[in-house]
Amino acid sequence: MYKLIEFLRRIYIVVLFLVIESVALYCYAHSTYHTQAKILARANSVVGGAQSVLYGIRHYFTLSSENRALATRVAQLESELQYYREAGAIERENQEAFAQIDSVLMEGLVQYRYMSARVIANTVHHRNNFITLNRGAMHGVTPNMGVITPEGNMVGYVAACSDRYSVVVSLLNMDFSTSGKVVGDDHNYVGSISWNGSSPYKVDMTELSKYADVEVGDEVVGSGASHYFPAGVNIRIGYVDAVRENENHTSYDVVVRLAADLSRLDNVILVENFDYNEVSGLEESVASGQYLLGEETN
Amino acid sequence: MQRNLTYVGIFLTLVLLQVFLFDNIALSVYFHPLIYIAFIIILPLDMRPVWVLLLSALLGLTVDMATGQAGLNVMSTTAVGFMRTAIVGLICGRSMGFDDTIPSLHRFTTKNLVGYVVAMVVVHSAIYFFMESLSMMHILHTLLRLVISDIVAVFVVWYIVRLIIERVLKN
Repeated sequence: MYKLIEFLRRIYIVVLFLVIESVALYCYAHSTYHTQAKILARANSVVGGAQSVLYGIRHYFTLSSENRALATRVAQLESELQYYREAGAIERENQEAFAQIDSVLMEGLVQYRYMSARVIANTVHHRNNFITLNRGAMHGVTPNMGVITPEGNMVGYVAACSDRYSVVVSLLNMDFSTSGKVVGDDHNYVGSISWNGSSPYKVDMTELSKYADVEVGDEVVGSGASHYFPAGVNIRIGYVDAVRENENHTSYDVVVRLAADLSRLDNVILVENFDYNEVSGLEESVASGQYLLGEETN
Repeated sequence: MQRNLTYVGIFLTLVLLQVFLFDNIALSVYFHPLIYIAFIIILPLDMRPVWVLLLSALLGLTVDMATGQAGLNVMSTTAVGFMRTAIVGLICGRSMGFDDTIPSLHRFTTKNLVGYVVAMVVVHSAIYFFMESLSMMHILHTLLRLVISDIVAVFVVWYIVRLIIERVLKN
């Protein structure tokens, strides 16, 4: 017994080291990007205030370029507004028909809600990168809201939020994938978009059919199948940078240059899909076969 | 007591520098200097190994909690804390350094201190980056990250260590 205690006394440092490493390895191995986002969201409730202050200082030095970008955006929106004014003049002729539409029905037709937020922390050098926004649950942010730039470029989606802050899983996250298609491809073939961790300006689009019409410089947009982003609106991902056949010569592997510079994000738009939970729940029940069980009991 | 408070201050300062400054420099995916390791470097060389190990784990845990990592920093800092004695022995010889309370520049030659800092930074970031990538597919990419980040980290940590040894701990 004495010898055992003496032996343990001699090796307790090694034992302690192995215990700490094992616990850390277990936590790391069992963590997903969702758990990492949740830890970050919790940490932001403590350090988020300091991040905001630092962001304010950094933001001060970029005000002039931001003003220029806003002026350009205002000009663009003005021209779009003019278009709608002209279209509105025609539609006013059919006002009586519109008046008959039930207002409750109109409310039900609104599927998406938009809100703006500012980036207060952002990483591009990890395997799984996250963006922290200065809007949280108390501002109406909920997990699974899509995030785009004011120019309509894809950024990511909200994974977790605290009261005042939210954490976004960005395109530069190796565990995040979405689907995209090439604008101008009449066949509408869809490829899988993911980041390989090398460049913060490029992502890969794999498994794109060999029959797709794709050339360098073509625009790549979200396929519309993702529930994070508005259906029917082309959320831009980027532009084709290189195209090559995969090893088996069965499909194209495309390198896509991102439209948004994710290392210099400032303002972003959050998109809430009111139908997200309903659609996702339905899809999950179909995937797990639960809907069949439901039919049997009926 | 005074010295313990100084170490607490150094601990917090390095964590804040890492979280708010170096983690927010979004220059490139290859640029990620891990400078908080300076805390383990400047711990007294005669400190009991169990304390070095626990403080290393605490440092990693604090950075993990602040940056949303789930154990990655604990793994790398604890490993470096565990290997510190061996690294000092390897670079400076067994008899060197351990009878001093801090890694003094008088006891450590500049060459030895540089070797100590470089070894600690490289071992720490090698564990960190390889555990983060968890794949041999992007080994060149990981090596490039290691080299670029470590060049910057070694300079920053060297400056911090010199500053702490000559200005802070001397008083």
